[in-house]
Amino acid sequence: MNEYMIIGQYVPGNSFVHRIDPRTKITIIFFFVIFVFFANSVGSYGILTAFALITTFITRIPLKFILKGLTPVWFLIIFTFSLHLIVTKDGTVLFNLFGWEIYSGGVIQGVAISLRFFLLILFTSLLTLTTTPIEITDAIEDMLAPLNKIKFPVHELALMMSISLRFIPTLMQETEKISKAQSSRGVDFRTGPLKERIKAVVPLLVPLFVSAFKRAEELAMAMEARGYRGGEGRTKLRLLKIQSIDIWVYLLFTCVIIGLFLLRTY
Amino acid sequence: MKTKTLVANALVAALYIAVSAVIQPFGFTNVQFRVSEIFNHLVVFNKKFFFGIIFGVFLTNLMFSPMKAYDIIFGVAHSAISLGIIILLAKYIKNYLVLMTANTLVFTFNMFIIAFELKLALGMPFLFTWLTTAAGELVVLAVGIPIMLALNKQVRLDRLI
Repeated sequence: MNEYMIIGQYVPGNSFVHRIDPRTKITIIFFFVIFVFFANSVGSYGILTAFALITTFITRIPLKFILKGLTPVWFLIIFTFSLHLIVTKDGTVLFNLFGWEIYSGGVIQGVAISLRFFLLILFTSLLTLTTTPIEITDAIEDMLAPLNKIKFPVHELALMMSISLRFIPTLMQETEKISKAQSSRGVDFRTGPLKERIKAVVPLLVPLFVSAFKRAEELAMAMEARGYRGGEGRTKLRLLKIQSIDIWVYLLFTCVIIGLFLLRTY
Repeated sequence: MKTKTLVANALVAALYIAVSAVIQPFGFTNVQFRVSEIFNHLVVFNKKFFFGIIFGVFLTNLMFSPMKAYDIIFGVAHSAISLGIIILLAKYIKNYLVLMTANTLVFTFNMFIIAFELKLALGMPFLFTWLTTAAGELVVLAVGIPIMLALNKQVRLDRLI
């Protein structure tokens, strides 16, 4: 159960990356995800890889946390690499593997796509490794604020996200507890015919829904009793502020992107 | 938005994540057997569940998916488009069973969005990926129909918020 209790993958710290404003991190990651597709040469991949690895290094997050986050994707990376190795038939034949001719184009494409994927996963995971989900919520609320003008309920949605984050561990515990309680009464979730297993989910979902909506009702009532009236005029406990390090990060990232385009032919 | 609707949707999102994590911790990438996908049927009973489901998808992908940025953008787009279609259909169709069948088919068909994501990110073959992801989605949502009907009998999902 304990491993479920770690929400997301946030690793507390006070590194340079931890201190960057979450809005800056989201913006940089957004553009990184787009620009990584422009890499097409050793030089351009090189500069992005160096940037991603150096950023990872300065987070001072133990390597085991980062590798743990990447565990589910190794299989995918190897699968994709093998797929391109077998399917792509460009360039010269390099060697013969169990009857399959391996072309140089296949190796190049396999390496390029796997590396691109690795970079995407590594860089985007830095957001959740160095930013708490609440900070991410605040950042999203702030970035979507202009949508308020077209009556989009930005504040309500951000509050919804915060409440959701607060209740995830509670409901996880509850799910675990109910499934154990039902198992002790003889409900079998894992074996038996499909029809029986489908039936077994119902006694799990019914108490879960009942208790979740009971909580919702109590919380809504408590909020209203304390005077919650929606977003207008509400002040915040945590205020986001763009600092000089954010400006430096934007400048550095712009340089990396300029470098990427200059190195596209090398 | 009424306070109760807001809070109830937040809890639906939290339930989506809790069930994704506890019942079956794998359901990302090309074979998608995410049990909490059956929550997509909630919108059939009440369109107000829309945001709860969308947030469930968003937060699950943000916190647990290794492919983060892609899964967030394409996963949320997939759910939002599919749920939008069902909300439109619900104006004309009132039978839950028919609507849930339509929901299953719409979600399954729209898996091409996820297949496109995997093609873009990993260069996977589009049609093959569409087929495998759609098969997973079809199974989960089809299995979800009797479960949600049984659940609705007990808790009256249409009257909860």
